[in-house]
Amino acid sequence: MTPGPPDSETPASAAEAAALAHRFGLTRVDLVPTFRDYLRQLWTRRSFIAELAVANAYSRNQNNYLGQLWATLNPLMLAGSYFLIFGLLLKTSRGVDNFIAFLTIGIFIFSFIAASVTAGAKSMTSNQNLIRAIRFPRAALPISVALSEILTLLPALGVLLVVLPFTGEPVRADWLLLPPAVVLLFAFCAGAGMLAARLVSASRDMLNLIPVSVRLLRYVSGVFFSITAYAGHGWISLVLQYQPVSVYLNLVRSLMLAEDKQDPLLWLFAVVWAAVFLIVGSLTFWRAEHRYGRD
Amino acid sequence: MAATDPSVVVHDVHVRYRTFGGKRNALRPPDENGLSRLLGRATEHVGAVTEIHAVRGVSFVAHEGESIGIIGRNGSGKSTLLRAVAGLIPTASGEVYAKGNVALLGVNAALMSSLSGTRNVTLGCLAQGMTRRQAKAVYEEIVELAGIGEFIQLPMKAYSSGMAARLRFAISSATTPDVLIIDEALATGDAEFRIRSAERVEEIRAEAGTVLIVSHSLSSVTSMCSRAIWIEEGTVRADGDPEEVGAMYTEFVAQRRGRKGGS
Repeated sequence: MTPGPPDSETPASAAEAAALAHRFGLTRVDLVPTFRDYLRQLWTRRSFIAELAVANAYSRNQNNYLGQLWATLNPLMLAGSYFLIFGLLLKTSRGVDNFIAFLTIGIFIFSFIAASVTAGAKSMTSNQNLIRAIRFPRAALPISVALSEILTLLPALGVLLVVLPFTGEPVRADWLLLPPAVVLLFAFCAGAGMLAARLVSASRDMLNLIPVSVRLLRYVSGVFFSITAYAGHGWISLVLQYQPVSVYLNLVRSLMLAEDKQDPLLWLFAVVWAAVFLIVGSLTFWRAEHRYGRD
Repeated sequence: MAATDPSVVVHDVHVRYRTFGGKRNALRPPDENGLSRLLGRATEHVGAVTEIHAVRGVSFVAHEGESIGIIGRNGSGKSTLLRAVAGLIPTASGEVYAKGNVALLGVNAALMSSLSGTRNVTLGCLAQGMTRRQAKAVYEEIVELAGIGEFIQLPMKAYSSGMAARLRFAISSATTPDVLIIDEALATGDAEFRIRSAERVEEIRAEAGTVLIVSHSLSSVTSMCSRAIWIEEGTVRADGDPEEVGAMYTEFVAQRRGRKGGS
């Protein structure tokens, strides 16, 4: 077994390889691009992100007869069941005037956040086929997952706006502020999804912690109670009120419900949290770009 | 041989990947020591991550206009090596340089099985960096090459494995890269598709600078390639003329067979 004729050009050292590559204008394939280049690559893939999001949102409801109708039927039935339980059977208010609307908005927004972070965390493992076949900035996946959840949230918000007047809420101009709120919500979830995907790729065991954290968040974010009514006005209450998840829940509530006063601080926090999560999330995700697809 | 400029420079590349499941230390020989064997038994269900050192220090230079066949047994690390060259698997150490864009063309480029063929075509094109307009422009061509008729509107999970392979091949051959990597793509599909795909590969080869082909089939390597690299256990055993390298490889396989048959 004699080795074949070695190519005279085969580099003997890393320096030789680099010199050869430099001379003929070759670039490293196995390096992570700079953050700026990475963002640029992501931007050129924007139609891919959108298309993947639409396709995923669509395919979720396509495996039965009623198909896309479920996108609106599901939230409608959910709202109906809350009305049945809390409006007719239990009649609890827990310090909120329009408890059914308060609860329904809370649950819709919270399920959206929970779903996009959970799916974002799994986006590297569940799209392995795509990762192994085609080279593209991997951050496209968690971002697309968050967008896909937004597409599921929109019909739910539409249902809410139709149902709200029946629960005694006046139609208000504040509703027009919903789109910017949804954009902030998307930015926050995309950032949180990238962070979660990064954690899971560092250790898959993290996947088991996600359902627990989601449950914990559900109880500390005031999904089914008003934080101020229960936690009072101490500093714990302030932390609970201005942590990201409750900020977004309360922001949407303040826009949709007449009893919730508009709070400029909520908008400020919504913007700050969105920016912090988006920046920290994309930076941490980018730094491990070369590790995705290793498993 | 080295008349043209290099288009791929690979230096001392190592690739390790982790695989989950199985058992802990699945690939390690059993311990002789009684106590450590007992401990191994107790902990084999925890931390069942096996790290596979698939590519162990490969170096080569490929030039423009060259088509190189990578041969080797199953599990010798040849597909992993080419995935690393395509930038799809991270390297553990070493450097990979390439000119322009590198694309991997394979039937294993499975996309989303719950989505229709049409959606998969669009997604595949966009993921490769095309604009929507470009994707629309090549759509007909891809559907034509895949030749799966009305099935293009159905979700890919309804496809036979041959049909899915054809569509994936058609999608991944839509772009014309500078360096093209073909991973055993030509073995699937019926006779008609094989001819069509070979033609398409030939077209791309004429336009692309360099082609790297992974294949089990020695005959296709000797007929299509100007050079062959034989990979065994993650290292280069031989590199040179396809006839010579092929003969060495055949001899090696025959020897192994003989050894196994004798014992």
